[in-house]
Amino acid sequence: METGLFSQPGGTGVSMGRVMAEDAFEAVVGAHHAEIRRYLLRVTARASDADDLSQETFLRAFRAYRALPSGANVRAWLFTIATNLGRNHFRAQSRRRRAYAAVALEAPAGAPDRTDGRVLADEARVRVEQVIGGLPEKQRLAFIMRKMHELDYAEIGTSLCCSEESARAHVFQALRKIRKGLDSQLSAGTEPRS
Amino acid sequence: MSTMPTSCREIEPHLLASAMGEATRDSVELVRMHVAGCPECREELTRYRAVDGMVDSLRRAPGPDDDATLARAQLTSRLADLRSRMVTFGIFPSPLGPLLIGRSEMGVALVEYLPASGSLTARVRRLLGDDAVEDEAATEGLRAELIEYIEGRRARLAWPLDPRRMRSDFQRRVLEATAALPYGAVTSYAGIAARIGAPSAFRSVAQALRWNPLPIVIPCHRVIGSGGDLVGYAGKRVELKQRLLAVEGVNVGPHDFKVHREAMYTLMHGEVEYCLPTCGSLAERPLSALTLFGTRERAEAAGFGPCSSCRPDLHPLPA
Repeated sequence: METGLFSQPGGTGVSMGRVMAEDAFEAVVGAHHAEIRRYLLRVTARASDADDLSQETFLRAFRAYRALPSGANVRAWLFTIATNLGRNHFRAQSRRRRAYAAVALEAPAGAPDRTDGRVLADEARVRVEQVIGGLPEKQRLAFIMRKMHELDYAEIGTSLCCSEESARAHVFQALRKIRKGLDSQLSAGTEPRS
Repeated sequence: MSTMPTSCREIEPHLLASAMGEATRDSVELVRMHVAGCPECREELTRYRAVDGMVDSLRRAPGPDDDATLARAQLTSRLADLRSRMVTFGIFPSPLGPLLIGRSEMGVALVEYLPASGSLTARVRRLLGDDAVEDEAATEGLRAELIEYIEGRRARLAWPLDPRRMRSDFQRRVLEATAALPYGAVTSYAGIAARIGAPSAFRSVAQALRWNPLPIVIPCHRVIGSGGDLVGYAGKRVELKQRLLAVEGVNVGPHDFKVHREAMYTLMHGEVEYCLPTCGSLAERPLSALTLFGTRERAEAAGFGPCSSCRPDLHPLPA
């Protein structure tokens, strides 16, 4: 008289399929995963860390997704989760400078021809990356969110647990430091724009 | 910086905002007027614009590791795994007290009687783990059907079930045999043991049913002691068992909490006809060989006909 109780498909009107919130989450992954991973790549400067942390970001988001109010800014929320994970990651990693230096070395090497504007631009870009990598954590995260991902200051403030004004101050401070760090390049080769 | 004139210090934030292209119209105008008369700040603005341009080209440049394909594939598989393990639950009042229903992607995973008072958070976490999500809407259909069942308006809960809370293959077999007991019928723990081919294992059967993750849905309330006593249910809440049986037409003595065989229609295991309890040698048979029905309607709804010699249809038991 055994019925195969646990193998039979459902016979009632009660749907056991995925509920809508879960289907919607697939769309969230599709829309944002690549960008969140790119953000974490910029933040951690390591592809393997970006892979892990971007996955962790979405696993956490999935657990909390149902509780998210409808109409919430999903993208900014994902950035907040990713930012927190990134910061925890740094706390755990005492040698992040070295991790960054490793990436800087991967940048296009080659013998630069001083007269080649393209090479000069590449050099400047590597230098910018270096300077950004050396910024204090909050300034760096704020700057990457603002300038690389174009989040607004309110969203950045939420991600960093600070006010909109502090978020702006972090970005401005970052810009001042980058400008200082680039002084040599700027005076050497960049034509002033009109 | 310390030598910078006050007007230059004041203009500096506007200058940065201008260079980044996020200044208000007023700021832009302030900067324009200032740099017209201040070559140092004009130079600063140029430099900041150059920095902004570089940062912009950095933003647009594809990185060397800018391939999310692998991470995305891993994420998809980890999400599928999390989804299949994740239990969604609802807690709601019922005539039997507060109940929790938990479901996974596979099916209903858990039905739990909750204490009428006290904090539920720790209990729910212990039952379901940290990944459980409370979602009333996702369990609303189940809730409605379960209430109908408890109130006697529904005789069947044909839900797909998630077997992953089964503790062993033995328990699975016990629960499957229990689920095969018809609505309105009872047998003994030894009866279930006999049905799964382990006639001496009635104590293990009792244990397996004690840990039934799906009470009501898998009707362990239809399994009683060999002497007809209800034995136990949901801890010490044997009154719930009595109530569920009463809904199904099985009367339990109000004082002794027993099912009285002489008041039950009786089916020999393996037979297709149900009898009066006095038919032939039935009274001497152990309950384990029998299935008892409170009413003829239940026996017939389960597909059994009246015995052609004792004719329960012509001589029904007193109601």
